[in-house]
Amino acid sequence: MNLRNIEFLIEEAFTGIVRNGLMAFASISTIALSLGVLGAFVLAALGANNFAAAQVGQFRVAVFTDVGLGRQDAERIADEIRKMEGVGEVALRDRDKEWVDWKRDHPGVGSAGLPGNVLPYALDVKAANPERLPALAAKIRTMDGVHKVRGWEDFDRVITIVRAVRAVSIVGAIILLVTTAFIISNAIRLTLYARRREIRIMQLVGATNETIRIPLVLEGMAFGAAGALVATVLLRLGGTYITYSAQNVIPMFGQFSSGLTTGSLALGMIVAGMVIGAIGSLVSIRRFLRD
Amino acid sequence: MVHLKDVSVEFNNGVRALSDVSISVYKGDFAFIVGSTGSGKSTLLRLIYRDMLPSSGTVIVDGDSVTTLKLSMVPYLRRKLGVVYQDFKLLPQKNVWENLAFALRVIGTKPKEVHRRIGEVLELVGLTHRCDSFPNQLSGGEQQRAAIARALINYPTVLIADEPTGNLDPTTSWDIIQLLEQINVRGTTILCATHDSQVVDRMKKRVIQLEAGKVVRDENKGTYQYCES
Repeated sequence: MNLRNIEFLIEEAFTGIVRNGLMAFASISTIALSLGVLGAFVLAALGANNFAAAQVGQFRVAVFTDVGLGRQDAERIADEIRKMEGVGEVALRDRDKEWVDWKRDHPGVGSAGLPGNVLPYALDVKAANPERLPALAAKIRTMDGVHKVRGWEDFDRVITIVRAVRAVSIVGAIILLVTTAFIISNAIRLTLYARRREIRIMQLVGATNETIRIPLVLEGMAFGAAGALVATVLLRLGGTYITYSAQNVIPMFGQFSSGLTTGSLALGMIVAGMVIGAIGSLVSIRRFLRD
Repeated sequence: MVHLKDVSVEFNNGVRALSDVSISVYKGDFAFIVGSTGSGKSTLLRLIYRDMLPSSGTVIVDGDSVTTLKLSMVPYLRRKLGVVYQDFKLLPQKNVWENLAFALRVIGTKPKEVHRRIGEVLELVGLTHRCDSFPNQLSGGEQQRAAIARALINYPTVLIADEPTGNLDPTTSWDIIQLLEQINVRGTTILCATHDSQVVDRMKKRVIQLEAGKVVRDENKGTYQYCES
């Protein structure tokens, strides 16, 4: 295929779009709506996953040393924990400050005749991978000088919820992707069906299947890109409005973000639109090109 | 030029469209294929431009066996033939000029050559003044002229016309047939299926008559109805 042919095929694609304006409009609208629904779900799923991941990331366990152990022993334990595999952060709490806080929270105890600060030393431990926190807690619990490890009891429940959110997101996205591809493919098929006579004439005047197929695939890709662009604008405007409105009712909604910039969202949508458009066209044309 | 040998066509429903048809059409011939509706005229023509395959027998066009032709080579066969249809089959979204240009550009003709050839055939068919019109803006006769121009644009060796006057009034029909004769005089072989008895009788060309899928008459300088003289 030479440059002249490529120029002709691109020209054919754009003439086809311009001269079949109504069908082009119908296709682009369908693609925009389908991709909009898919995009909205993906953004919501990303937001939910990011929110859940942020909650899990804040999880830490509190390690309490045996009563009577000094600061040096607590620091030794902290060093040993730091050397363990999968440990993220280890921080030794300020025992004096904790005692002041404790006394403030329990005003009646101060008069009970306690000899001074009776609190054990405490360490806050975060795992590099939050999902490994229970295993790490179990390991720390067996260390010499460690009295108690707390704060990981609800972790399994939280992680189960996070995994469920992730699984629902993935399964939902796959189902919606397949449905979207099917809807877009059908929209393109209708466009091609309206032009089946044109395709037939092209065959009869000696056009090769490639000469017929390439402009129609380019058209499908152009429809996909245009639909994706419209869907991106709708998603950004709709997303901003919904987040703003929801934040007034539920302040926590402010932390809810897909983490995608407008540029990367547009790029992702356009690539998805073009790929689905191209595949939809290729699949639909096949039946018209059977000779 | 075009040879059919023992060609039979039987459809899946058991209907036999052609039975053991053998005909030869040579370079420069002008032959009418006549016969009642369902006699097999269109089927015979469709075999030549490989729109369908025979159940048995061989079809040879310009030295190549159409029956054994690879599917990927069919477009190249069609470029050697010009085909004119009763319903014109013009691309509705393209004007006359673009319809002709399409047939040339699909085979990679240079733009300069496209302009030259279109000018030439439009002048031949008398449509130069309507080159910007879309098919729905043309009369039946003009659409058929545009279709003939498209069929001629690649300088075909054989021009196949399937009921080219079927949708036209008698005066316009005669104009179209005269145009085909003019093309034939230039050396193009013409194979024309028709119902138009007046045209066949006036032209006095070769007549191949089909009845129920069989060739019942093949006569030089024939008429529509067989008359023993």
